[in-house]
Amino acid sequence: MADQNMRFLVVDDFSTMRRIVRNLLKELGFTNVDEAEDGQVALHKLKNGQFEFVVTDWNMPNMTGIELLRAIRADAQLKHLPVLMVTAEAKKENIIEAATAGASGYVVKPFTAATLDEKLKKIFVNMAK
Amino acid sequence: MSDNALNNGDSPDLEALFDSILESSQEVSSPVASINANDQEDPQSLMADPAKSMFSHIGQITRKLHDTLRELGLDKSLESAAASIPDARDRLSYVATMTEKAAERTLNALDIAKPLQDNITENSKKLSSQWDRFFNKQLSIDEFKSLVKQTRTHLSSTAQQSEEVSAQMLEIMMAQDFQDLTGQVIKRVLTMAKDMESHLLDFLLMFNPQGTTKVEENSLLNGPVITTEGRTDIVTNQEQVDDLLESLGF
Repeated sequence: MADQNMRFLVVDDFSTMRRIVRNLLKELGFTNVDEAEDGQVALHKLKNGQFEFVVTDWNMPNMTGIELLRAIRADAQLKHLPVLMVTAEAKKENIIEAATAGASGYVVKPFTAATLDEKLKKIFVNMAK
Repeated sequence: MSDNALNNGDSPDLEALFDSILESSQEVSSPVASINANDQEDPQSLMADPAKSMFSHIGQITRKLHDTLRELGLDKSLESAAASIPDARDRLSYVATMTEKAAERTLNALDIAKPLQDNITENSKKLSSQWDRFFNKQLSIDEFKSLVKQTRTHLSSTAQQSEEVSAQMLEIMMAQDFQDLTGQVIKRVLTMAKDMESHLLDFLLMFNPQGTTKVEENSLLNGPVITTEGRTDIVTNQEQVDDLLESLGF
C-alpha cells in the first residue's frame, strides 16, 4: 500500500474539477494534496516542492497537460514522477500521444471514484517494482 | 420578374445592368422564363454564337444568385447571423457562470455534510461494538453505565447532525436550479446556431455548388466528445482506453 502522506499535485484549470479530484484522493486516504491551475504553475510548484505524484488535465491555458508531462520527463529531477492524466480528450491519438510521452496512466472524463482508485493502485504497483 | 425586382429596393444601376444582360440573352435564345429550362432550349442558336451565349449565361446565373439571396432573405439573415454572435457569447458565458456557481455550492454543502455523516458513522460503529460486548456479558457495571451515557449523547447528537446533513442535502438540491435557467438559455443559443448554420450553408452552397469540402479535424485539443456516433477515432469509456494502452504494450 502506498504511503498515505504521499504528496499530490492536482493540475486542472477548473477549480471544481480540482476539488473533486482532491475530495476523491481524500476518500482514498491521501490528504497531502496541492493544486495548480495550469501546466506552468504546476511545473513551478513541482520544481520548488517535494511532490511525489501528479494528476493532470490535458486541455489548459498557458501550458497543457501533455506539455507539462514532456517537461517533467525532460527534467532530470522530476522525470521519475508518476503522472496520471485525467482528461476529456478521448481521441485514440491523444491516448497514444500521452502514452508515448511517458504518462503513467490515462483516465477519461467523466470518470468514477473506482476508476481513479484502480489507476492509482496500478501505478503504485508499478512504482514498487 | 423585373417588376418584382424593382420593388425590392435594388440600386437602379444594378437593375439596369441585369436588364441589359437579360435583353441580350433574349436575342440569343427564346424569352427567359426559367434559367434551368434555358440550358436545354434552342441549342442551335446557342451554338451559333458561343461567346455571346456564355456572356448571357453568366449574366443569368448572377441574376439568379442575386434574386435567390434576396428571396431567401439571405442578405439580411447573414447580417443578423453575424450580429447574433455577441449575444450568443453573452448567453454562453452566463451558462458557464451559473454552472460554476452550482458546482461550488454543491461542493461547499458536501464539505459541511460529509464530516458530520462520517462522525455519525464512526460513533455508531464504536457504540455498536460496545453493545455487542455488553450482550456477550463482557462489560463491567461501570463500563455499562458509561455506555448508556454515551449512547444517550450519541442519539441526541445524531438527531442534530442528521438535521444539519438534511439541510445540506436541500442545499445541494437547490443548487440544481441552474439547469432550468441554463437549459432555456442553451435552447435559445441552439436555435440561433441552427439558423445561422442553415443561412451560412445556403450561402456557401450557392458559391460552391460542388458541395462543401470537409475539413478534417486533426487537433489534440478537442475537449469532450459530444457525439460518438459513427466515429472510430475516439474511445467512449475507460475500458477502451485501457484496452488501447494494453494493445500498445503500456
